[in-house]
Amino acid sequence: MTTKLIREQFADTMLEVGQEDPKLVVLVGDISHFILQPFAKACPGRYYNVGICEQTMVSMAAGLAKVGYYPVVHTIAPFIVERSFEQIKLDFCYQQLGGNLVTVGSVFDYSNLGCTHHCYGDFALIKTLPGAQITYPSSPVEFDTLFRQVYRNGALTLFRLPAHQHGEDFSAKDVQFGKGIKVIEGSNLTIVATGPQLQNALAARDALGDMKWDAEILYIHTIRPLDTGLIRASVSKTKHVLVIEEHTQSGGLGDDVLRATRDISNVQYASLSIPDTFVTGYGLYEDHCEKLGLTRDGILNRVRADFNL
Amino acid sequence: MNEELRRKIAQMVYDGKDGHMPSAFSIIDITEVLYQDYLKFDPQNPDWPERDYFILSKGHGCLALYVILEKYGFITAQDIALFCKPGGILGEHPDCTKIPGIEASTGSLGHGLPFAVGIALGLRLHQMDNKVYVLVGDGECHEGSVWEAANVANNLQLGNMCMIVDQNGSAVQLMPRDDLPAKWRAFGWEIMVIDGHSKAELHAALSKVKFQSQGTPTAIIARTVKGKGVPMLEGHGPWHHRIPTKEELKVIMEALS
Repeated sequence: MTTKLIREQFADTMLEVGQEDPKLVVLVGDISHFILQPFAKACPGRYYNVGICEQTMVSMAAGLAKVGYYPVVHTIAPFIVERSFEQIKLDFCYQQLGGNLVTVGSVFDYSNLGCTHHCYGDFALIKTLPGAQITYPSSPVEFDTLFRQVYRNGALTLFRLPAHQHGEDFSAKDVQFGKGIKVIEGSNLTIVATGPQLQNALAARDALGDMKWDAEILYIHTIRPLDTGLIRASVSKTKHVLVIEEHTQSGGLGDDVLRATRDISNVQYASLSIPDTFVTGYGLYEDHCEKLGLTRDGILNRVRADFNL
Repeated sequence: MNEELRRKIAQMVYDGKDGHMPSAFSIIDITEVLYQDYLKFDPQNPDWPERDYFILSKGHGCLALYVILEKYGFITAQDIALFCKPGGILGEHPDCTKIPGIEASTGSLGHGLPFAVGIALGLRLHQMDNKVYVLVGDGECHEGSVWEAANVANNLQLGNMCMIVDQNGSAVQLMPRDDLPAKWRAFGWEIMVIDGHSKAELHAALSKVKFQSQGTPTAIIARTVKGKGVPMLEGHGPWHHRIPTKEELKVIMEALS
């Protein structure tokens, strides 16, 4: 398994793509400034640490797209997605301009900084925007691969970069925008995992086997467009589906899985996600996950409580 | 001046049963001078890469822009006739995905200036000398994003952009302590203050803008009258978003004849 941080991969990808493509421009809100210096030096005039003004940074990026550039906007998740939502909606999506939002500090990665620096409703918000794409690359190779596949396809794309990784070594050829990955075949339970929670899904599989559950594990790195074909095929077979995600239950991946499978008969559904509440405690990322049941044991408990063979 | 264009705007509001007539009247003289003498454009090729950019940030003034776009051949009389009607392309705020010659879909205030900053930066990166004009309202200058963009444009030294503030007095109704020239000067912009209904003063100011790729951006504070040209409409009374009756339209047309 790689020890490289996804954020480090972001800087490396910007450098490599930026050297190949003179239309890539990176705007940051005083974050990742030092790790992006190789890009700034190699691509003069195409790196701006704009300042603490996220709304303007997003609108500016749309202006750059208007004259033919492929902009990347990068800062902490809530300050792009929530604070600057109207700029994303109107200046990019309504005007049909393409661009890339690369966030760090998603969910509660800044675990002790409180709700001002948490962001776990981003999928729901961006999903309201026609044509917008959402990816959740949770390993370096996924970011590098997905970014190269879509950064200039004319759409607005959110790349939610987590601080933690799922630990699986997918290769670039395994990663295709808009396509999920069947990680393990199973027969009577589908676990749809996104982000670092893939790790807990895999960790729970043996114990689920002891409970007679043969779990098929699907990994979703592209939230929108969602690979509904993969999900439907699995759920049609297993008739039980558990979705685990670091997002609010409302508007998350689980809602989309429910919608995608609503016409398949006799399906039981369960969700492990963030309930309709602010995460106000302190501690590590792992402490928040523990409290919310976003763990291996949380999966086992939810299956015991919600499903019958 | 521009009585004929004002009459066309009034007729559009009456026929379309919608629109912000006084806001359009406060900017029509500015817009006409820009299109007549300063902007480089090709109505047969609205996306001509060498064109100058005009961003109407106060999108609710779009009637002024629509009649100009028709005058210069971007859109047709039929488009004007279908203002705010099913099947038409002209709504109460401009939509750049539908209307030839519209550079930005504005309406929510505070978007046009930062969007123009990105355009100006991109043109400089392309090493192109297109000019970027953006027209904002004085009430719009209540928006924080305007001042974020003002700060960024100065720090990036985007001398290839010129902003015109339509100072029609909307802002001071709500926040009377409002020295706009001092604010823009404090943000580092080159400032000129003019009568926005005087062709001579508009020419004097616009001809002085240096348009350097690297330099101080320019702000022209254009003092205007909301509803200019029709005494019944002038000022900040009920006419901001009101539709005239047949009799009121007649009064407006007579005032503009």
